[in-house]
Amino acid sequence: MSTTMHKKTTAAPRYRAPAPLGGRRNPAIGQRRKNIQALAFLIPALLVLGAFTAWPMISALRLSFTDASGFGKEKWVGLENYARIFTDPVILNAVVNTALYALLFTPMAVVLALVLALLLNDPRLPFRGFFRTALFLPFIISLAVAAIAWSYLIDPQVGLLNYWLGNAGIRIGNVLQDPVLAMPAVAFVAVWKSFGFYMVIFLAGLQEIPGSLYEAAKVDGAGPLMRFRHVTMPMLSNTTAFVLIFALIAALQAFDQIYVMTGGGPYGHTETVVMQIYKSGFQKLDVGFASALSYVLLAATLLLSVVQFVFFGKREREGD
Amino acid sequence: MAVPFHERADMKRSLTFLTVVAAASLALTSCSGGGAGGESKDGAKAELTFWHGYTEADGKVLNKIVDDFNASQNEVSIKVQTNPWSVIDDTLLPALSSGKGPDIVAMPAERLPVYADKGAFVQLDDFYKNPSSNLDKLIPAAADMETVNGHKYGVPSGFVPLAMFYNKSLFAKAGITTPPTTWDEWIAAAKKLTVDENNDGTPEQYGLGLPDHATVANGVWPSLFYGNGGNVVKDGKAVVDSPENAQTLKTWVDAIRNDKISPAGLDGIAGDKLFSSGKAAMYLGGPWMSSIATENKIDYGIAAVPAGPKDQAASAIGISMGITTQKDEAKAAAAQKFFTYFLQKEQATAWSLGSGWPPLRSDIPASDVAANPVVEALTKQSEFGRPLLPGVVNSTDVLTAVDKLTQRAVAGENIQDLLKETQASVQKIVDAK
Repeated sequence: MSTTMHKKTTAAPRYRAPAPLGGRRNPAIGQRRKNIQALAFLIPALLVLGAFTAWPMISALRLSFTDASGFGKEKWVGLENYARIFTDPVILNAVVNTALYALLFTPMAVVLALVLALLLNDPRLPFRGFFRTALFLPFIISLAVAAIAWSYLIDPQVGLLNYWLGNAGIRIGNVLQDPVLAMPAVAFVAVWKSFGFYMVIFLAGLQEIPGSLYEAAKVDGAGPLMRFRHVTMPMLSNTTAFVLIFALIAALQAFDQIYVMTGGGPYGHTETVVMQIYKSGFQKLDVGFASALSYVLLAATLLLSVVQFVFFGKREREGD
Repeated sequence: MAVPFHERADMKRSLTFLTVVAAASLALTSCSGGGAGGESKDGAKAELTFWHGYTEADGKVLNKIVDDFNASQNEVSIKVQTNPWSVIDDTLLPALSSGKGPDIVAMPAERLPVYADKGAFVQLDDFYKNPSSNLDKLIPAAADMETVNGHKYGVPSGFVPLAMFYNKSLFAKAGITTPPTTWDEWIAAAKKLTVDENNDGTPEQYGLGLPDHATVANGVWPSLFYGNGGNVVKDGKAVVDSPENAQTLKTWVDAIRNDKISPAGLDGIAGDKLFSSGKAAMYLGGPWMSSIATENKIDYGIAAVPAGPKDQAASAIGISMGITTQKDEAKAAAAQKFFTYFLQKEQATAWSLGSGWPPLRSDIPASDVAANPVVEALTKQSEFGRPLLPGVVNSTDVLTAVDKLTQRAVAGENIQDLLKETQASVQKIVDAK
């Protein structure tokens, strides 16, 4: 029923939505105008995304089926590159190392970040702002720079760490040349650099938990540990899933500090998949193989992320 | 309220579509852009670009040679672009892919086979056979460095064997007057020069800085193998597992582990530091060690790598220059003109003095380069220089395998088993191409 005039009633005025763009007669025009405006703002970002993400990904997929070297002639080789990934012992070694690195890095970083976030969330802690900034600072510098700094710190001849530990009577020797200690060392550098980021995310998640839940738990007689298990952890499960996925993806892509600190040594003990991608593509000019390896890594990362997401998603639904 | 803009199904489809369109259009534009290189017209001046990594003093000398070449004739003009060697390695691949690469590029000699095998460089066999090209005057070992799969793909711009740098003041303190000339003398001197004052098992001063992996130009252990008549790859076959190499490894591993003449687990960079900080009395290094030693106020001397039981030879460090313009014969010919000029006696002598490396021509005696005593000393050892893994395309992998071998041997593992393992992997690597 359309009316051309509305009389105000003496009671509270009825709320009327503002007229849509294009007038009441054809709201569709207004909607399209909004769409076009939005698109216009998005186009530059889409172009950059298309040029620097979508195009290289499509190109790499094509290259992975060839023996291309990035220039000159290329020959279609079908699945030969992919087959080599699963049979080459050097690649398998890199996969094992990457898995080991992920197992070292992810728990260390996430647990450390959570613990520090819990500490920082406590309003009783003095100078919270300062600590928050200080703990986040390592994340800002580039991983390569951090790796150079740490490699000097743990250098057996000139490093401060060895000097201090030496004064305390502990001799560690050349950590980066030790086949057992090298991997934990490079994992540690990444943890030192990244935990601030995860800590900040955990902090945000913690601050979303309503204080009323904690009070209710206290009233029920729950101690701090019980409150953590039954209030904090369930409420944080979304955040934890997010952080774990991020940490895992970062771990699977480990390259910067390993390239700087050990170059994959001692004799291949710290060589990861991305290091092999770099070596195959840029040192051996085997761009086709490097592309194939990149896609296998992508598939593995995707699979692991989906598994983690489903696992945590289920838990949240159960907790509701 | 309507469904939010970003969640409407049709908008999602449009966004995906737009991104793909953007990607495809960029792909098409980039496809058409490649391949359109500059073609030189007949008679017009050939303009070439030359990438090299010689910076500072040696770069100035090379650039002057290029300028003199440009001034000396009208058909070719070369423009130089200097970047650090690592930057050249990183940027050459994308430059070649996009067709915007240099016409002439200099690179460390072990990188040449990798690019040559993938078809990046012009074959230079005819150029080498041409009697007026000056290439017949090259030191034969330097010319060998440029052979890949039986063909020549480059011209050397530098070739110098590893030399032994020794700390004269430490030698004087230990009462040694002349540098060792044989392995026996070498190990004896190293033992004498290893000082452990407080007897804690870790010497404060080592006789020799002997890295067991990532050595200078990967040449230290091959030099030791050569000395006892062994080798790594010969005529396309792995020859690592040999009684000679086993003996070499045993001799030196024992000297490191038992006599402690050198720290174990050293790599090339740490070795450099050990010598430059005065903690090692002897070190196998490249010509730059002379400036490093001078900077660190070390009174140093240069001697040839001591002779082993069977041979006196040292692995050489080399730089090669290649021509990338496959499609343009005029440009390739122009580049070859430059190489001929570069290898003329006058220019070769000037380059040797300016670069601090021995002359590339075999007919330039040490007396001609006496103006630079380091060059003079190195020129006297030129005859011992041997190219490392000439023509082996997968040299990176082979050298990684050798690194593994030496590192694990020095760490104490069984030498026979290691040699067998390394032989198998090196053979596999060499066969893979």
